[in-house]
Amino acid sequence: MRRSVYRRAQGDSPVKLFFIYAVLIVFTIIAVYPIVNVFSVSLRPNNRLYSTSLAIIPDDATLQAYKSVLFEKPFLLWLKNSLIVSLVTSVIGVGLASTAAYAFSRFRFRGHRAGMTLFLVAQMFPIPMFLLPLYILLGRYGLTDTLLGLAVPYVALTLPFSIWMLKGYYDTIPRELEESASIDGASPLSAFYRVILPLSLPALAITGLFSFMTGWSEYIVARVVLTQPDLFTLPLGLVNLQGQFSTEWGNYSAAAMLIMAPVMVLFLSMSRFLISGLTLGSVKG
Amino acid sequence: MDDSVQRKGARRGVAGRFVARRSPGGLHRRRIRLAYLLILPSALVIALVLLYPLLFEFYLSTTNMSMQRIFNYQFVGIRNFATILADPQFYEVFFRTIIWTVVNVFFHVAIGLWLAILLHRKLPGRAIFRVLLLLPWAVPEYISALTWKGLFNFRYGAVNLFLGQVDNLLNSAYGLIGLARGWHLGPISWLSDPTWAFAAVMIANIWMGFPFMMAISLGGLQSIPHELYEAADIDGASGWRKFRNVTLPLLKPVLIPSVVLGTIWTFNKLNVIYLITLGGPGDKTHILVTTVYRAAFDYYRYGYAAAFSVVMFFILLLFTVNFVKHLRGTEAVY
Amino acid sequence: MKKLLVAFLAAALLAGLMVPAAFAAKKPVEVVIWDQDDPPAEAVMDKLYKEFMEKNPGIKITRVHYGTEDLRSNFQNAVIARKGPQLILAPYDNIGPFSTMGIIQPLDNLVPKSFLDGFNKSALDGNRFNGKLWGIPDRVGNHLTLVYNKKLISEAPKTMEELIAKARELTRDTNGDGKIDQYGLVYNLNEPFWFVVFQGGFGGWVMDAKNQPTLDTRATVDALQFVHDLKFKDKIVPEEADYQVADTLFKEGKAAMIINGPWSWKAYQDARIDIGLARIPKIDSTGKWPVPMTGMKSYSVSVNVKDKELKDATLKVLMFLTGEHAQAEYLKARAIGDLPSNKKVADSAEVKNDPVLKASVDQMMAGKPMPIAPEMRAIWDAIRPSLELVMGGRMSPEDAAREMQKVAVQKIKEMKQ
Repeated sequence: MRRSVYRRAQGDSPVKLFFIYAVLIVFTIIAVYPIVNVFSVSLRPNNRLYSTSLAIIPDDATLQAYKSVLFEKPFLLWLKNSLIVSLVTSVIGVGLASTAAYAFSRFRFRGHRAGMTLFLVAQMFPIPMFLLPLYILLGRYGLTDTLLGLAVPYVALTLPFSIWMLKGYYDTIPRELEESASIDGASPLSAFYRVILPLSLPALAITGLFSFMTGWSEYIVARVVLTQPDLFTLPLGLVNLQGQFSTEWGNYSAAAMLIMAPVMVLFLSMSRFLISGLTLGSVKG
Repeated sequence: MDDSVQRKGARRGVAGRFVARRSPGGLHRRRIRLAYLLILPSALVIALVLLYPLLFEFYLSTTNMSMQRIFNYQFVGIRNFATILADPQFYEVFFRTIIWTVVNVFFHVAIGLWLAILLHRKLPGRAIFRVLLLLPWAVPEYISALTWKGLFNFRYGAVNLFLGQVDNLLNSAYGLIGLARGWHLGPISWLSDPTWAFAAVMIANIWMGFPFMMAISLGGLQSIPHELYEAADIDGASGWRKFRNVTLPLLKPVLIPSVVLGTIWTFNKLNVIYLITLGGPGDKTHILVTTVYRAAFDYYRYGYAAAFSVVMFFILLLFTVNFVKHLRGTEAVY
Repeated sequence: MKKLLVAFLAAALLAGLMVPAAFAAKKPVEVVIWDQDDPPAEAVMDKLYKEFMEKNPGIKITRVHYGTEDLRSNFQNAVIARKGPQLILAPYDNIGPFSTMGIIQPLDNLVPKSFLDGFNKSALDGNRFNGKLWGIPDRVGNHLTLVYNKKLISEAPKTMEELIAKARELTRDTNGDGKIDQYGLVYNLNEPFWFVVFQGGFGGWVMDAKNQPTLDTRATVDALQFVHDLKFKDKIVPEEADYQVADTLFKEGKAAMIINGPWSWKAYQDARIDIGLARIPKIDSTGKWPVPMTGMKSYSVSVNVKDKELKDATLKVLMFLTGEHAQAEYLKARAIGDLPSNKKVADSAEVKNDPVLKASVDQMMAGKPMPIAPEMRAIWDAIRPSLELVMGGRMSPEDAAREMQKVAVQKIKEMKQ
């Protein structure tokens, strides 16, 4: 089964392989270098954001910044808040989107296309301009300064993409698969979760990751909704390390590296789903 | 909602009903009710969160709310819109926004898709590449922007240092074959030359965005049955032909939402330009959204900024409706 | 598949359980302060809060830090939505727009006159706009000064010509790789706040008594030519330098002189640079001292503070944090580098015996308060783009001065629409 996934690759000639590796290595360097730079800043004492030397590990390297962020700043509190917001956003977001997308993919009804477009419309207004009315609105529901008050707008922000993405993916799944399920007497809903959902793992993984990352790194909305330090999420906490003129760049970069760490773990575990053996090809073949 | 869209939606429904007609009427109605039920929660969340702000801003766009009139603003009709559309600068910035959006989205998709295709094969070490290439997505934008600002520094930035190295290499190469060089690579005044500064913010933004498109393409590639490639192989199709005739059409369902939304997001993207160039040098890297931000939060021209946003909203709406219209047909791929 | 569903439901349930626990934050009656200060100052602030709360168990102070721009826009949003903090500590030039918008309240009748008498009069007057007092400063200064690295330059230059000559000597390639790696002078080249220092030295100023821009003047042209020449003719500054680059070069000992403000001095000492401070030297052709803008940070009270009990608590906190004791604490910790606005503390031996602070006082004498009229915003934004183009060698000083004036007038007009 697994082998079929790779069958195409067997024809790659050594020259082509060399070329492929060259491209991948070049892009990997481009992708990673700026991050290495941030890492380097996190090791520098005296808050130097820039350096005139290209050395990655400075001569006077110190882990002080990491110690300071982890133990002297409420980093773990920010981490907890961010985890809550991001998890709630992705669970609710993917949950709502996966069913709505199913309706758009498998049913034809009045306002089908208008509905799809309407979901996009929600994204077209510049977000900074939404802040004032959103703040007033959330205040009316008593949701300012609550994590839920942040998660709800996040869900609204992620839904359009998630729905479109999942709908597109569902469209590629052959209908015969559900039809054979419905001959067995299954309702449309059970066909949905017995046939469609398992086949859509890569797309679910991507929308889940997308929703999570939105909650994880969003700053502009969070800044307005949350004004209590004990509710701050990681991006707010991070900016909190910036002063008017003097920023603790070491701490700032160390915090940035620490923010990236959980996401890297997530990427590693999610990438299994992105290339999972449960592909459509395998089901059909 | 513009009602031509709704009409189009209805027309679409006629074609779609064909599917439903096969089933008896009662079952059909129940299916329709189910569909609405499935969509309802998502629609509610969006309506609750975004409808009020949208109406609020539309209303503000017809007022003169500003620093002097925060609590006592008045209705001024279309005056704000007239001011915006009569300003030649608006069109200059609009044009720049289009370039910004097209270049960014093109490279996001092109690089993301290319890397995904390279990674979609048996390669030792591909798991490592996959995670490393996704990394830029994990960096908070705030940090990436500041880091790139440093990388673009004329004298100390890694970009110019790298160009310098390449230039030295070229020099030696030319020397070896005994040719004189009439040109030099770098150093480039990334942040003090308007054109280069615009290139710099785009490079930074492309860096931030390609991993997302790569992830999406990787997921999308999973849905392509391998038999299709095998069939193409039997036909003796070249790599490019396979890409054109098999990969691209079958990736459409996942690429299209990404391109549409990627366009909308990029069009409205504030952070990168704001943090790297602040619209400079010479206000030559402003795009529409940085202009609107400045009007609202630096000059407290709330009514004007709201009208500006409404204009931007309609530009995007027009684009999307047209784009979606051109997509009809694609649903029938499968 | 079932497993997946179970996992999904479990996650949803878990999230559901976590939600109420995490979302139920209770709100005691408290005085909230929003600030945008630098970390060392905030450390002293937090110490002061603790002291205050021990003495006044009925009042709880909460501080929230924001970036400068975020503080401004968030405060607007919050107050318009009838929320937000009771107090803000922000650069005093916010007073112009904030009082025009009506989101802060006048303090004339709220703070006793005896308390106000303790303040440096001109500092307090700086917080008046349209005849009313809108803020109480806890410090004055914020002015740019010449800072030099004693290892590279033993004595501060007396005139600008001398400065340029010395800087020329010191701008050189120290390691023989064919590239300059030590500069005579560094500063934030494209930032208007730095540019106006020179504009003043050539006898100009940003606006007239009616808050109208005065940018298209001989002084502006000369000053633009001057900063242009520093880069293109004298070549004593780096090709590109924003704040961070200038700061890094100086911290690494690769710049002999930097023009920077009080907030930065402590960090240079921490980085083991032996610094000296001096007035930015006289411009030879005019015989005038360059004019850094002086500023302060002030506490202002939100217009939403109406409830009597809350108002009393807020004023108590305000007076404690701007009072003699608090200012002495700041001074003792050298946390801000600025000078006290309280007359008694400013006269203390602590200031007089400190060479850095003494030099700072001296530089401040040459300075001029930053205008707080809302028009200033337009002027800053008008100067920046043309200055950037001049420093990029793409615009002549004459054109730039004309353009600055035109843009400033235009932006002020738009602002008042």
